[in-house]
Amino acid sequence: MDWFREQGSALVGFSGGVDSTYLAAVALDALGAGSVLAVIGRSASYPEVQWENAIALAHRIGLPLLEVVTDEMNDPRYAANPSNRCYFCKSELWTRLIPVARERGLAVIVDGTNADDIGGHRPGRQAASEREVRSPLAELGFGKDEIRRLSRARGLPSWSQPASPCLSSRIPYGTAITAERLARVERAEAALRRVGVTGDLRVRDHDDLARIEMPAESLAGWIDPDRAVVLAVAVREAGFARVSLDLRGFRSGSLNILGGVATP
Amino acid sequence: MSAGGGAALGHALLARGIRASVEARGSLAVLLPLSDPEAFADAAVRDQVLALAREHGFTHVAVELLGAPRVSGTNAP
Repeated sequence: MDWFREQGSALVGFSGGVDSTYLAAVALDALGAGSVLAVIGRSASYPEVQWENAIALAHRIGLPLLEVVTDEMNDPRYAANPSNRCYFCKSELWTRLIPVARERGLAVIVDGTNADDIGGHRPGRQAASEREVRSPLAELGFGKDEIRRLSRARGLPSWSQPASPCLSSRIPYGTAITAERLARVERAEAALRRVGVTGDLRVRDHDDLARIEMPAESLAGWIDPDRAVVLAVAVREAGFARVSLDLRGFRSGSLNILGGVATP
Repeated sequence: MSAGGGAALGHALLARGIRASVEARGSLAVLLPLSDPEAFADAAVRDQVLALAREHGFTHVAVELLGAPRVSGTNAP
């Protein structure tokens, strides 16, 4: 609260995820609705279900909200899907949000990066720091577990929701990102939710083959032949020819390991 | 990872009673079960498979889900 009061006003990069929702709620409490603006950057890589969730969350807590369409898909440096892809996406986002903050006289732009996000393979951080976007949760040492605990204490429904990074994180580095490919992943994950998969879920796109990552503790139940068919049909109907289930289960940054930019 | 690495992993799995053919896709091993796929429901079996795969240079292992016909015309966009 004090951090935001010192700034006076803020534009919050808002995704509806655990971190940015908590950050926006604190900013709102500290500054009031007249001095806070949450902004959603919308593109094909932002899941529809997450967009709907973000809108609902903003309305629920009375958060002033603006949507800005971003166009990273038309940046060939992004679409080629290099291992620093996130740099180009975040560069596009912050480049569009800086004028919004200026026009509205908002003193600072903040994002939901938390203390656990520091380190590791995070090229998007560079884009933020180059544009003086601040990360108060990280600066003040708030990690994910604490943010979940504090979100719960505030009554934010986001406290228990799984992490939901952009859809491009399902595409191995070096494989071109297209709107069609992202839509196929989104359909597959939505279909898996409908048949009852819960918790962390990713459908990794290996061209003709989908590789499902779900919580390791859920694997035994879904390997049962009758239930495995349900998974296979759901994902095939989304557009994949072949479907597989990762035997280790969900791993954050799984494709960083596969792409050789992180260690197993 | 080469197809040879996949074959070697397949042999190593067979030596432990797990019958599966292995398709190597870089450092991803895709297992096509040749017998009871329910064996992979056992966490101890999965751990054993993952350890063997690591020994053969794979970072990821997935088992293909069969049991329903493949949808035709659904290749990569």
